[in-house]
Formats: sequence, C-alpha cells, structure tokens
Amino acid sequence: MISGRLIIRLLAFIALVAVIAGLFWTQNAAFLSEGNIRALMRHMSVQGLAALGLTFVIVVRQFDLSFPGVASLGAMTLGWLIASGMPLSVAVCGGLAAGIAFGPVNGVAGARLALPDIVTPLATRGLAIGFSYFYSNGTSISQNFFMSGILDLNDRKILGLDMPFAILMAAAIVGFVVLHASRFGRGFYATGENRTSARFSGIPTRTLIVAAFAICGMMACLSITLLVASSGAANVTAGNQLLMPAFAAVYLGAALFGRPSVGATLAGTLMMSTMLNGFTLLAIPYYYSDAIVSTVLIAAIALFDPRVSGLFRTLVAKKDKTA
Amino acid sequence: MTDITASLSPARQPAKPHRHGGVFTRYGFFLLVIAVFIAFAWLRPTFIAPGNIHGMLMSASIAALMFLGLTWIVAAGEIDVSFMSVAALSNMIVAGLVQSGSGWALATLGGLAAGLVFGLLNAGLVAGLRLPALVITIATGALAASVAAAIGLGTSISLSNTGFVGSILNLRLGVVPLIGVIVGLLYAISWFVQEKLTFGHYIYALEQNRAAVVEAGVPVNRMLFMLYVLSGLVSSLAGVLLAANLSSGQPYLGTSYFLDGLTSVLLGGMALKLGKPNVLGTLAAVIFLIGLLNGAALLGWTDSERQIVRGSLLLIGVGLVVFARSRNRGRAHT
Repeated sequence: MISGRLIIRLLAFIALVAVIAGLFWTQNAAFLSEGNIRALMRHMSVQGLAALGLTFVIVVRQFDLSFPGVASLGAMTLGWLIASGMPLSVAVCGGLAAGIAFGPVNGVAGARLALPDIVTPLATRGLAIGFSYFYSNGTSISQNFFMSGILDLNDRKILGLDMPFAILMAAAIVGFVVLHASRFGRGFYATGENRTSARFSGIPTRTLIVAAFAICGMMACLSITLLVASSGAANVTAGNQLLMPAFAAVYLGAALFGRPSVGATLAGTLMMSTMLNGFTLLAIPYYYSDAIVSTVLIAAIALFDPRVSGLFRTLVAKKDKTA
Repeated sequence: MTDITASLSPARQPAKPHRHGGVFTRYGFFLLVIAVFIAFAWLRPTFIAPGNIHGMLMSASIAALMFLGLTWIVAAGEIDVSFMSVAALSNMIVAGLVQSGSGWALATLGGLAAGLVFGLLNAGLVAGLRLPALVITIATGALAASVAAAIGLGTSISLSNTGFVGSILNLRLGVVPLIGVIVGLLYAISWFVQEKLTFGHYIYALEQNRAAVVEAGVPVNRMLFMLYVLSGLVSSLAGVLLAANLSSGQPYLGTSYFLDGLTSVLLGGMALKLGKPNVLGTLAAVIFLIGLLNGAALLGWTDSERQIVRGSLLLIGVGLVVFARSRNRGRAHT
C-alpha cells in the first residue's frame, strides 16, 4: 500500500519541516520548548479540522467558499445555546447541526440543480452570516461560558495530549477510514476525477457531493467550537479567519503529496502552523500572517503544477546536456 | 441517455434566452429596481432628497467602477475574488503616501501601480500558467489585504486633505456627481465593446465553450490576461477614489465590497441576458443594491435583516437564472 514514491515524498516533507523548525530554533530557542509545541498543536487542531472538512469538497472537485460564514453561524448558535442555559452537549450538537444543515444546501444546488459551484456557496455564506446576526444583532456572546464547561474542551488533557489535538487526531482517523479505506471514499475520488464515468459505474455522485459539503460544514463548525472554547466568546466574524489557512493547507498538502488526502491535509496544516507559530515567535505582527500563508500557497500551487515542474525538468535536462 | 448527459452539463447548454424570453424576463429586473425605488420614496420621502440621491450615486459610481473588470471576468467564465482587496491595498497606499508627505498625484500613481502589479500577478498565474483561478485569486487577495493592513500597522490612516481627487469628486452637475457621469460613460463604452465588438462576443463565447474558442484561433490566454489586468486597474482606481471619498485609508474596506461585487455581477447577469453577466446589468444591480441598503437603513432595518436580504438576493438571482435555463431547455426539447 505504501509505495516507494510515497516514502520519498514523506521523507522530503519531514526534511522540509525539520529545516523550517531548525531555522526557527536557531532564531529563538523557545521554539522547540514543550509549551510552544503544545501551542502549535492547539493552533494546528483548529485549522486542521476545517481543512479536513474542506479536503472532501476539494476531492470531489468542488469549491466551498461558504464554510467561514457557516462556521460563524455555528459559533453563534453554540454561544446562544450556552447563554440560554442549555447543557454543553446540546449546545455543541446545535452548533454542528447548523453546519450540517447549511452544507447540503450548497451540495444540492451544485449537484442537483447544477448551479455554478462558486456562486451558491457565496450566496449561502451571505445568508449564514445574516442568520448569525440574529442571535445578538452582531455583538459577541460570552454569558454562561464559565459555568457550561466549554472551556474544558480547550484546557483538558486526554492521554497526555491536549483535548483539541486529541479531537483532531480522532477526526483524522475517522476521516482516513472514510476516505481511504472504504468504498464510499473511492467514490469521492472517482466523482472528482470524472463525474460522468463515475455515474455510469454506479456511484451515487450527487449524494457524495452533498455529503462532501455536509462534512465540510460540520467540520468547520467543529473547528469553530474549539476556537470559541479557547477564546471564551462567540462572535459573528469568528469564521473569517478559517478560509485562507484551510485552502492553503489542503492545496499545500496536495502539492506535497500529489493529490488531496487526509494525510496530505494534516501535513499541509502542520507546515502552515509551524511557519505561523515561528513567525509569531519572531515577533512579526499578526497582519503579516495572511501574506505569509498566501505566498506559500501561490508558490505551492505554481511549483507543483505538472507543467511548471515539467518545465524545470526540461531546463535541468538541457543544462545536463550542455555540461 | 440524453437526459443524463443533459443534466450533467447544463452549463454548456446553448441558452438563447433573449430569443425565447419575453419582455418580462428581459426587463423584469429593471422593473423590480424601479418598483423598489418608488416604494422607498413613498415610505420615506427623505430617500429622494437631493443630498441622499447624490450620496447614493457617489457610492454607486465607485462600486460600479470596482466591479467593471469583474463583470467581464465572470462573463468569460472565470472568477476573480481579489478585486476588493486590491482596492483596499490601493486605498491604503494612497493614504500612506499622502500622510508621509508625497502629493496626491504621486499617491494616485502609487495606488494604480499596486493595481497593475496585482492585475499582472493574477493574469500571469491564471492566464499565463493556467492555474486554478479561484484559489489563486483567494491567495493574491489575501496577500493584498495583508499588505494593506501592514501599511497602516493594522489600523486605518486618516487624511487631513483630499487633494485634487477630492475636488474632482466634489464636482457635480445638479444632483449627479461628475464621477457618476464619467463612470456612466465608461459603462457605455464597455457596453459597446461587449455587445457590438468581436472582443465582447469572444468573452461570451469563452464562457460557453472555451475549447471551441481556442480552436477558432482566438488568443484566449492573451484575452484573459488583459481581463485580469483590467480588473486590477479599475479596482485600484476605485480604491484611490475611496481614499478621497472617505478621506482616510481603510485596510479592511474589502470585506464589505466582496459579497456586493459578486451579487451585483450575478444579479445583473439575470437582467437583459439571462445568466450572462453584462455591464448594463451590473450597473443596474449596483444601483439596486445601494438603493436597497440605503432605503433599508432609512427604514431602520437591523444589520442581520440587511445581511439576510443580500444573501437571499444572490440566491434568488442564481435560482432565476437556472429556472430560466431549464425552461428554455424544456421548450427546445418539445
């Protein structure tokens, strides 16, 4: 199952992360301290969950621009349920339900009504943001947060791991089984590769696309739940910061490992989080983080594009000939 | 069999709405705009006070300028989601340069240069290297937004004078600001280019079947290259005007224009030519959106209500396009 090429890519990835980590370590020795690594893993958990959900949508070759809005709605639903005195489990389920409810709207519109896949998520994003203003007319919600125990989601530890990271690992394992060890998962890839032939092979392509959007919406809400737990308040702009890192992680992972997959997304997230964490330690202001992420994203897409890398190869070959 | 293939690729259906569609589908949107404006004027007479109309036309002109390039890109079947961040960047560059003592002329050139750079960057990556447009423009947009925030160290820059750009903005013919007339002329020229010249027909053809346009010998990549550069330039020009209009540089200005821009283009695509973004439609949709938000504010709607109305409008626009397409297809079959 593990081919030679995969091992080479894996080794290259580990070397790359090691080099990056080494560079930061020489600049600031605190980079490899236990506290910082824990902080890095926590940051990675929030970004990773959103990116994992997006992976499914990218695998079926659709785009989901709506999940930041849906995540904000999830955050506000969660906050409102907690503030109105609901038990934590109900509140979390309510938040996730918002994501599951909105995801399929995109999926049905895209798969069944054949609306352009870029437009509908934009519309539902606007709609979701609008609904998220309903609960408190735009102010952030933080009543009852201490009593409800949601902060434990961030602070507690399981088997020595921080709770958020444990949740990410659990989600990644489930995601891996679904996407890489089941017929269902093969169907996702087949739908993405060639929808017509997948359909004629008996794969329920429409259902899978709807499922991919639902998973994406749910994971975005799960990720925002962790973010709300760590910040202690829900607000209407909470989701906006998820969009760039999630796309960057999925595409960076796909560029490193040849195609989007659960493992590739985790690798991409790890790399993004390492870089962002390192730059934060070097006291680079927060507003540069998007510039860093987007530069890496553009570079990853451009460099790993088959035609660009092919161009490099021919150039290298020419050099060899002349030399 | 035909049913399945048809339902799999409806976007490639040769829709001919302007032949099948009646007067209502063709001009329905314009009737809606007029109806909404009359309703607002009736409910709140201040809506048609000269000052209010002038203000609305001013913001509509700047927004329409920003969305001009986007209209053509979407009409060609591509996407650009970096336009609002490019506007924000040029806005901040102008503010930063003026604050540091350079004149407005230099600042304006600086802002436009930023638009040119990002236009070329998008064009090179999307049209030149044929990379996925959506992800690339998300990334370049984030890059522009980040640089914009960095110029003001994360906050806005307020300006004491608005220079010659400000005095141009202040010129007015009756209730119509001069800039509105200029943008109107620009849209008239764009309408002529898109509807009457071969270039415009190629734009429509690109959305329908790119492979066929390539086979016909049209330099598709060069066309897309031009469209992205144009989008960067008009967005940055709008950013320069906004610096004078707001007499400040706002790094997070982009977020409010993002949904408005795409809503205008797609809602406008519903007018005149079902499902095909065109400049007249965009102009009407911009005026509609600005009027709606302004009127809603006068009526005292809350933020959430206005947000939901905006999102629903986009959904309705898209839904109507699909409805019209499927009805036309049904007629074609019978």
